[in-house]
Amino acid sequence: MNAMNNKSIDEILAKVNGIKITHKRARRIRVDVAADSLTTVLELIKGQASYVHLSAISCVDWIDDNQFELVYHVWSYEENCLISAHTRIDREEAKFVSVYDLYKPADFFERDIFEMFGIFFIGSPRMEKFILTEWYGMPPMRKDFDSEAYVQETFNWTEYNPDWLQEITEQGGGIAIKPEEIRMAGQLHNMSTHREREKAKKDHVVGKGWKS
Amino acid sequence: MKKELLIKQQKRSNPLAHVFDDFIGFCQSKSLFMLHYCTGCGAIELPPAMTSRFDMERLGIQPMVTPRQADILLITGYVSIKTLKRVILTYEQMQSPKYVIGICSCTVNGGMYWQSYATAKKLNEYMPVDVYIAGCMPRPEAVIEGLKRLKNNIMQDKKQHKGSAWKDYYKNYDYYLGNQQHLFGDDWQTPVDVIAEAKLYGLEGEGTYGKNTDKLKKVQQPLLPQEMKL
Repeated sequence: MNAMNNKSIDEILAKVNGIKITHKRARRIRVDVAADSLTTVLELIKGQASYVHLSAISCVDWIDDNQFELVYHVWSYEENCLISAHTRIDREEAKFVSVYDLYKPADFFERDIFEMFGIFFIGSPRMEKFILTEWYGMPPMRKDFDSEAYVQETFNWTEYNPDWLQEITEQGGGIAIKPEEIRMAGQLHNMSTHREREKAKKDHVVGKGWKS
Repeated sequence: MKKELLIKQQKRSNPLAHVFDDFIGFCQSKSLFMLHYCTGCGAIELPPAMTSRFDMERLGIQPMVTPRQADILLITGYVSIKTLKRVILTYEQMQSPKYVIGICSCTVNGGMYWQSYATAKKLNEYMPVDVYIAGCMPRPEAVIEGLKRLKNNIMQDKKQHKGSAWKDYYKNYDYYLGNQQHLFGDDWQTPVDVIAEAKLYGLEGEGTYGKNTDKLKKVQQPLLPQEMKL
């Protein structure tokens, strides 16, 4: 219950078309709303219910539905309650209206999403490069961006080099625990003394792989 | 006509030349200033390596605040492409002889970030690396061991040419520049004129020039003093 005017969130948002309010827990409210009435919701909860802190805007790429989901996380210091307003927009068009005039921090969040997902926010003050200043490809957080294929194309791979390793092994270094022993490493750690561990290794009690 | 300033390798006639080489190598290896570029998680192993427990200073290695006064560039962890630009700028500012140490697996081949689009994988494609200290993360003992190895390399530099990886940057500048341009685009330019430095040190090789340096010449703009603005 809002302390100031004794109106609950449900009453404030009742007139918005097609809205679905879910009280997840005592201090978490989820609001699902159509894209064209999202700014109305934000304006109502900021103006009438003290939700003044936009703590994040997150984005989800639902590639099978051909949609982007935008989530606006808004916090109230008086209610100590977080509202997350969910909305979905078209993936091909990838355009949405900026909420910069309502919440100033949206500048950074929208710029970030523009860079990572390629959604253009109409009315946002600086729709330009933010963190990935050396990036020329498609937005990398989209689901159809294949990071591994990009790496294979762009970078060279260092091969495992046995000569180099042998030189170190001769000097007493090298790999301490072989990969096949790592699976049984828990057993080795349980043995209390060094001598016990060495004996176990010698007798091949451990180190044959996890099936044995 | 202006005379070009060139340091030419002269024939050595001094009978004590090798003794001096040994002495210079010994002195250089005993006083090293280290600039640590703490990019990733490996930086957390440096405080114990520097302070009383493992005590780097007993080897004559001290942290230094500016690249121009440092001998060692220590890169501790993954290098994102944006960071790599800064690392290269830092490296080129350093005065030779200069040494690069890559700590953690990430500098060797990308480590656990091997499939990330944002991190550069092999550091020695962009600058010559003297010593790698592999591990995720290496313990301070390993860091000290790596530093000792670098000291040995510097001491034996004149005989075995182990500690002179920095000369490779001048001799094969075209290769390094090509890899840098591959990531940063063809208009990549640093404030340091590496080719002019290579001429000055007499370290020009066949690899100093190539198609990548030609590309650089086309886009290279003369460096002007920056305007002061308040």
